[in-house]
Amino acid sequence: MRRRQSRDTASETAAGNEDGFEGLRVRDLTIVYGTEAGELAAVRGVDLDLPAGTITGLVGESGSGKSTLALAMLNAVPSPGRITAGSVTMSGVGDITRLRGRALRQVRGGVLGYVFQASQNSLNPLKRVGAQLLDLARSHGVAQPRLILGEAAKLCERMGLDATRVLSSYQHELSGGMRQRVGIVFALVLNAKVLILDEPTTALDMLSQAAVLEVVREIHAERRLATVIITHDIAVVAEMADRMVVTYAGRVVESGTAGDVLRYAAHPYTKALLRSIPRISGDISAAEPLPGRPPDLASIPTVGCVFRERCPLAMPICSDVDPATVSVGPGHTTACHLAAGPLAVPEQSEEVAG
Amino acid sequence: MVSASPPIAEPQSTGRRADARKRRLIGVGRRLGARIVAALVMIWAVATLTFFLVHALPGNPVQVQYETLLSHGVPPAQALKETRIIYGFVSHEPVVNQYGSYLWQLLHLNLGQSISYSGVSVSHLVLAAAPWTVILVLSGLVVSFLLGVLAGAVAAVRRTSKLGDLLSISGSLLHGIPQFVMAVLLAYVFTTLLPVFPFGAPYDITVIPGWNLAYIGSLVSHAVLPVFAYALSSYGGWMLSMKSSVVSVLGDDFVLAAELRGLKPLTQLRYVARNALLPLFTVFALSIGFMFGGSIFIEDVFDYPGLGHLLLSSISARDYPLMSGTFLLITVAVILSNLLADLLYTFIDPRVRGQAS
Ligand SMILES: Nc1ncnc2c1ncn2[C@@H]1O[C@H](COP(=O)(O)OP(=O)(O)OP(=O)(O)O)[C@@H](O)[C@H]1O
Ligand code: SF4
Ligand SMILES: [Mg+2]
Repeated sequence: MRRRQSRDTASETAAGNEDGFEGLRVRDLTIVYGTEAGELAAVRGVDLDLPAGTITGLVGESGSGKSTLALAMLNAVPSPGRITAGSVTMSGVGDITRLRGRALRQVRGGVLGYVFQASQNSLNPLKRVGAQLLDLARSHGVAQPRLILGEAAKLCERMGLDATRVLSSYQHELSGGMRQRVGIVFALVLNAKVLILDEPTTALDMLSQAAVLEVVREIHAERRLATVIITHDIAVVAEMADRMVVTYAGRVVESGTAGDVLRYAAHPYTKALLRSIPRISGDISAAEPLPGRPPDLASIPTVGCVFRERCPLAMPICSDVDPATVSVGPGHTTACHLAAGPLAVPEQSEEVAG
Repeated sequence: MVSASPPIAEPQSTGRRADARKRRLIGVGRRLGARIVAALVMIWAVATLTFFLVHALPGNPVQVQYETLLSHGVPPAQALKETRIIYGFVSHEPVVNQYGSYLWQLLHLNLGQSISYSGVSVSHLVLAAAPWTVILVLSGLVVSFLLGVLAGAVAAVRRTSKLGDLLSISGSLLHGIPQFVMAVLLAYVFTTLLPVFPFGAPYDITVIPGWNLAYIGSLVSHAVLPVFAYALSSYGGWMLSMKSSVVSVLGDDFVLAAELRGLKPLTQLRYVARNALLPLFTVFALSIGFMFGGSIFIEDVFDYPGLGHLLLSSISARDYPLMSGTFLLITVAVILSNLLADLLYTFIDPRVRGQAS
């Protein structure tokens, strides 16, 4: 029920006017890493909207630049990486890529809550969890830092943690799953508007994973957050996400509502990705692994389609011309020459033409 | 920086927490107990070694002492008694009895009597010399720690710059220079070539010891060179370990997490500093042993009346009781400092504290 509602909100907002946009908006973002072979783009020309009230699932093979993109949202791309073009605009804050010093610090943690890919070790091993929450509160100028402990305790209990025990524990006294949940508590405790979860459930078993994600979804809905979940697990996207964004070699190759992308995948890479996943109910042998290997930074083509070397449908034009991002349905776009041409998926082609 | 536990305590779980705390305390207690016992065993081993060393020395000094006394016309009973006062045992008895009587004396902190300073007890000589050594070693430790840790931290943060390279080179270079060479070099450069510091003795004979500026100033100016000889010789160890420690901590996930959570730069710095300093406790233990050992060379070069000096002069005077007493004290000081470093480590690192239970 709740989910239906938030999905409707999502499509409204996505189609809504520019000025009233609430959430995080990434425009034409390019991020390079300085390597021995020169500066290589890990993310190139990415546009992405994370509207408030929407959960976005970000999927793509390892190395496709998901974490780099997520860190750029906090203007925290680690050296030797840097943002060379584009903007990350947060409603009510402005372009985060231009923030420095104290202003940037206040946004990190205060407005943008980030849960680490490696949130197994995201705590100072020498301090108790509670003391680190107090540090967080003091760093963000919370008037009564101690109140944050009560807030954190509530979040802990919702996540199924024994708050009293957790807050007086050191990191090494917590299990992997507990640490991951504590990471989420840290991201939410200051009332962030955007929640970025980078592979949040890798350390959890299936049942805890479902429980934790359920709580995340509840809080997301209560606070009308703009949430992005980075994951390799398509089932998580299917379960949780309103929208789905597929990245390949630093590009967004397809995006749309989760339902549309999963059912009517338009990009050959998305199709291959979906085929490579064994369905829980289905036959494992029916899963076809993605042929070829994901490119590393140095071997990403700079001209033409980045996927062409592994694409079964590649055409001559694919080597010479970057495919433009075209609409294949309401709020559903893809960057593929096929989608713009006569071979586009029949149900969608009418809408493209119209 | 050790933080109090958060104030949230719900009644029903207080009991469980108290239990956990009790278990933790028992764990810590057990660990401490084991360390202390180990230290005592080591001290005992060193004492035993000293006993047998003196015992095995060519010419049997204890017997020689007894015979010398006899030849001076001392009656045998009296000679035996005096020999026992000097060494704590006499060689007429079976070895087991000698050993037992030696340990018995040690337990009463009786180290026997010096031969070269006749009539003065070894404990007295050793206790008079010890403060000089302790002051030098501690000052050297503090100076080298501050210099080394600072330089190491800068070298780590600036590791891709010229400054970083330069600091690292300074560390490796100084690390390679033996203490003796360092002491001679400093003495030569700063008392002969550029006589800015006085040479030898803890203070000028012209000043009167007491709480006056002249005396304290004199003490300090005499101590500068030997302190720096200690400091520079262990600076490299601190610097290199601090550098690698900071580099490894900076790569830890929690440091990036602290940044992404928008913690204050000062708080981030504290997180890094505390985690980076922790492994240096092992360096501390090494360093203190190295320094007490080095006192033999450094005090000799600067003619400073500490334990190292005493040990050397007792060797050249064949003053065996003084020699074994001094040696014993130096070793015990090293063992106790190591014990202290270990206990502090247990206290500071919650992970080690946890392991015990
Ligand atoms: N510090 C770095 N220096 C050079 N290249 C880097 C650096 N960090 C990441 N990269 C490269 O940037 C690309 C994107 O990395 P990123 O970690 O963003 O991928 P990802 O999609 O999050 O992968 P995963 O699913 O494995 O987490 C990869 O090719 C990676 O090799
Ligand atoms: S643009 Fe060409 S190569 Fe790229 S996905 Fe589409 S068809 Fe394949
Ligand atoms: Mg990643």
